[in-house]
Amino acid sequence: MKTILAAVALTLAAAPVLAQDAPEGAPDELGMGIFTFTSGPAAAYGMPGRNAAELIIDQINEDGGIGGAKIVPTYVDEGQGGEGVVSEFRRLAGDGSVDVMVAALSSGNCMALAPIADQLEMPMVTWNCDTHQLFLNAEHPYVFRPNSSTVPEFVAYAAYVAQNNPDAKRIAIINPDYAFGHDAAQIFTAAMKAFNPDVEVVAELFPRMGTPSFNTEISRIAAARPDIIFSNLWGGDLENFVRQASARGLFRSSQVVLALGESALQRVDLPEGVIVGVLGDGFWNSPDAQDNEAAQAFAEAYHGKFGEWPVFPGMKMANTILVVKQAYEEAIAEAGKWPTKDELLAALSDIEAETLTGTVTVREDHDGLVDQIVGVTTGGGDKPALAKMARYPGSDITPPVGADPIEWVSTLTPEFAAGLPAPGSYE
Amino acid sequence: MDLILPMLVDGLAASALIFFIAVGLTLVFSVLRVLNVAHGSFYAIGAYVAVVIGGFVMSAGASPWLSFPILFLSAALVAALLGPAIERTFIRFTYGKPEAVQILVTFALFLIFEDLQKLVFGVQAYYQDAAVSVLGISDIGGIIYLNYQLLLIALAVLTVLALRLLMRNTRLGKMIVAVVADPEVSATLGIDTRRVYAAAFTIGVFLAALGGALASPNSGVAPGLGAEAIVLGFAVAAIGGLGQIEGAAIAAIIVGIARVVAIYEMPALEPVAPYLVMLAVLLVRPYGLFGAATQRRI
Repeated sequence: MKTILAAVALTLAAAPVLAQDAPEGAPDELGMGIFTFTSGPAAAYGMPGRNAAELIIDQINEDGGIGGAKIVPTYVDEGQGGEGVVSEFRRLAGDGSVDVMVAALSSGNCMALAPIADQLEMPMVTWNCDTHQLFLNAEHPYVFRPNSSTVPEFVAYAAYVAQNNPDAKRIAIINPDYAFGHDAAQIFTAAMKAFNPDVEVVAELFPRMGTPSFNTEISRIAAARPDIIFSNLWGGDLENFVRQASARGLFRSSQVVLALGESALQRVDLPEGVIVGVLGDGFWNSPDAQDNEAAQAFAEAYHGKFGEWPVFPGMKMANTILVVKQAYEEAIAEAGKWPTKDELLAALSDIEAETLTGTVTVREDHDGLVDQIVGVTTGGGDKPALAKMARYPGSDITPPVGADPIEWVSTLTPEFAAGLPAPGSYE
Repeated sequence: MDLILPMLVDGLAASALIFFIAVGLTLVFSVLRVLNVAHGSFYAIGAYVAVVIGGFVMSAGASPWLSFPILFLSAALVAALLGPAIERTFIRFTYGKPEAVQILVTFALFLIFEDLQKLVFGVQAYYQDAAVSVLGISDIGGIIYLNYQLLLIALAVLTVLALRLLMRNTRLGKMIVAVVADPEVSATLGIDTRRVYAAAFTIGVFLAALGGALASPNSGVAPGLGAEAIVLGFAVAAIGGLGQIEGAAIAAIIVGIARVVAIYEMPALEPVAPYLVMLAVLLVRPYGLFGAATQRRI
């Protein structure tokens, strides 16, 4: 009953225009290609994305779809590898079954797909890939990211640490051995040194993805006696690391920062006081989301359908699909009929959308401005919750359009960090 | 200097698991003369069976100490079910065939098992750490280690001793040694080589499954476990000398220490450390540390 009520509430909240008349030229169906990992270790992170897509699309379709067109999703598993992902993108773009792509989870796949989207003139809206290199020295007229990039995400963690642990000087880093891990290490280190010039990196490890045992890395980190341990491990690797590090007391001897920690809160027992966040504002239990009926209804419906609360990858996916929906609706309103591809692109290029968890603004470079939520774990409870939260405005911690991101980070100052919202200010 | 003790402990703990992966592989090669790529699958299946049975028993409220016999029983179960069956249905057809054929057949088996694992166990990771929790921790050189890691070192040493005892003091062991030395003469003397092959292969499967089962309490069990195991197993077996049990033990220690030193001193080298060691050893000793060239029979 609770689930049904939640679904009804979500239906009402997620549909600003109910029982609308279909605009002139509206198709019966709107094809949407959705790319995420549904197999392999990354599926621990990717499946919540797929689940959220299913749920939000069902809700939108129950409301009459987008401008009367039902969303018909085609899910593509990124677990098949880069070549397969590119082939599937080309196939879906070529056979006319898809009007817009929501892709992808992996930054590597986004980097590979962006030029193809431009080449095939296929609108592509990214839902998770965070690499700041996506729009760096590259224009992608058909690609939009209504999410944040690695720079504001990891600057936010550095700012939180600078305020929460002002005396911390020794930093250890353990990140996955690919661009996301190395980029995060570079950004976090640069930001930490900008906020506190005395900071030194005492250990920097990049285990390959899928490493079953982190025991030697844990010993190495423990031997370095760090004040702060930063990690952006994710999926199965994050769960493995947390279990092994927790058993060996790493969480007691250092302040641990898990950049993607919220995604594992329901799967592993994280002790109290671990700094975690959601790489954006996609936390369904944040103060803003708690005040948002649609967000709470979505979370309840998700819990009812899948047996667990949505994690931030799921919220990012749902938010992205809602951005696509709003872009179509704005384009329909502007054109007075079903929009052309160019009209859709125009709507996406400067959209400011209300999502389930906040507001996203797409800038002129097609990159998004999204707030960053960081907090600490509470040590358990019925529902995932964070304490001592800070919500950093996206516009404050995102490099300006055209700026070299890493150079911009190095220009930050301790005063800049001190001027940002303090831990605990977002309650 | 103060890192030497942690490096040593980490190195030996890593070596223990590497040894379990490699020893069965090298035993099977020494007896059957088959390079079994599917060995990695038995390692993974041992891990899966251990976490599934362990999880079921623990969720029924059993004592966590029961998780230890479960690890060994899981390996025995995998060996009993798969060892003789696989040897009779696939492996025996590769005896005496070129190495390329053996590798193709066992690689096909490996791929089949990979898909079967996903079919049976799904793609999500499994965890069952009762054995780790119940043993507690120790402080060595200011670093906290799991007592379970220390237990693995002891179990690896015990396994080397047990295999020596098996080979030197039991009828089956003596028959295995005889078959390794000369299968034709052994058959002429009345040894049922077919049964010896099946027994040796089953022992190999047991050792692989035991390695996986023993690794499972302190790591997630997910798709891909078998692939990593077999690559590392081949490297260690090659360094020690194919067919050399003591060689596998020494090679495991060298590789384990090499990986740990790389993580401590030059992390970027860690993924290639085992293969750099293999390269260095094989350049100097082409048949491995303990291996020897075999005479071609006329």
